[in-house]
Amino acid sequence: MTAFIEYRDVTKAFAGKPVLRGMNLAIARGEVMFIIGTSGVGKSVTIKHLIGLLRIDGGEIWFDGRRVDRLPERALAPLRKRIGMVFQSSTLFDSMTLAENVALPLRKHQRMAWTAALDEARRRLAQVYMAEHAERYPAELSDGMRKRAAIARTLALDPEVVLFDEPTTGLDPISARRIDRLIRELAGSLGVTAVVVSHDLASTFAIADRVAFLYQGVVHVVAAPGELRASPDPIVQQFITGRSSGPMETPGF
Amino acid sequence: MPDAELPRARWLHQRIEGAGAAALAALEAAVELWRVYVATWAGIVRRVARRRAHGRPRGELARQLYSIGNRSLVFIAVTLGFIGMVMTYEACLQLARVTGDFSQVGSQFLRLIISDFGPTLTGLMLATRVGAGIAAEIGSMKVTEQIDALRMSGVLPIDYLIVPRFIASLVMTLVLAVFGAVVMYTAGGLTAKYSFGVNLGLYFDASQVRARHVVLLVIKAIAFGAAIPVVAGFCGLRARGSSEGVGWATTAAVIGGSFAVIVLDFVISAAALFVTGGDL
Repeated sequence: MTAFIEYRDVTKAFAGKPVLRGMNLAIARGEVMFIIGTSGVGKSVTIKHLIGLLRIDGGEIWFDGRRVDRLPERALAPLRKRIGMVFQSSTLFDSMTLAENVALPLRKHQRMAWTAALDEARRRLAQVYMAEHAERYPAELSDGMRKRAAIARTLALDPEVVLFDEPTTGLDPISARRIDRLIRELAGSLGVTAVVVSHDLASTFAIADRVAFLYQGVVHVVAAPGELRASPDPIVQQFITGRSSGPMETPGF
Repeated sequence: MPDAELPRARWLHQRIEGAGAAALAALEAAVELWRVYVATWAGIVRRVARRRAHGRPRGELARQLYSIGNRSLVFIAVTLGFIGMVMTYEACLQLARVTGDFSQVGSQFLRLIISDFGPTLTGLMLATRVGAGIAAEIGSMKVTEQIDALRMSGVLPIDYLIVPRFIASLVMTLVLAVFGAVVMYTAGGLTAKYSFGVNLGLYFDASQVRARHVVLLVIKAIAFGAAIPVVAGFCGLRARGSSEGVGWATTAAVIGGSFAVIVLDFVISAAALFVTGGDL
């Protein structure tokens, strides 16, 4: 397997508290990789490092044969055009309509004129069945609708990689499965690489190609969903069965 | 070292270490604040350069002008009006006790309002109303990852969030300083007339005002107008965590903005005294 994205011995601490302690992970082009683990283990931190929203303390991050962890903010713009991110809480801009939200990256990254960007944004919103809400503000919409609009905003740039931070958290089961289907379709029909941070084991076992289980600052196991489910590792078993007692150390509980 | 002195040495070591860490953090914050200020000017240059290149969403600057300027009108009118009334009343009261001569009240008060009270009190009021608003808005965006989403959209947060507020604040602080000075002086005049029977023709006397006083008003208003959004934006961008972080950012913006206004007032007034040889 040739790694499209690679983390090499990545370390990160916040206020002296280590979160990542030499994490290694390789992700192939076009695969759907789920990163799972307990809260606060560093899953979101891991994906934010790839696009320079956070800076690593040590180690290296490579994307498509190029080291990216040391790029200055201005040099990150082309990278952020190729790698999109759907944030946990959608993070649509409150003061903008949905169309304006989706048009913003088009205008900035693609240098489109504002009116042309708005037209393209409406087309992109129609693809996620949000055309009729294009002129509404995020506060007027449900969580699921906001999530879909956020996905439309991310996909507007036709990224090669999409990072999803807890895409199904807070959604009803039907909306969650629709998001799963969308992620799977992206990888299947468009060849998009999807890196999904999630607690949702139903999603994980339904659509992941491989799963990285993060524990104590390192990738404890990387395996296909079936292999993970059958793993004899007691820590993995405790996590996927959701038992409150077992060998896992969960600081704060 | 004797054993008995060890706890004392450790205590001293901890205090020095704590003071050093606080000094380093303050220095780091000052450098970061300076970077935000420089980045804001760089953003203005980019804004001017790109204006002709391609379209941009219209109305953000107008929205900020309205938010910072128009929506502060009543607040500035009420606060500076009341302060003008109190100050004139106190001045007349003292004069009545000592000489009973009110002939200089209006002219001297006008000189003081133009050179100091008008811009400074307006700046302090805006540091609270405008500074808190900017810090709360940007801080909320920071803790809800909207700033990260902006960066992912290819937008520099300072260009997008601070530059329009900075330009609006520069313009509107000057306008409001003039407006506040007029309200303050007028309220003082009415107080002098109805409380002490001062002749309004005598009160509205601009004979003591020199061009240098007006220049001082303009310089102070521009300096305060520049400082308030930069300090508030800086505090907002440093917000961490959740609502508590936004609260911290808002408080810091009000304190920092007010402090900046007072320090700038002192520096500009001292420089003016130096330049004019004390003849202000």
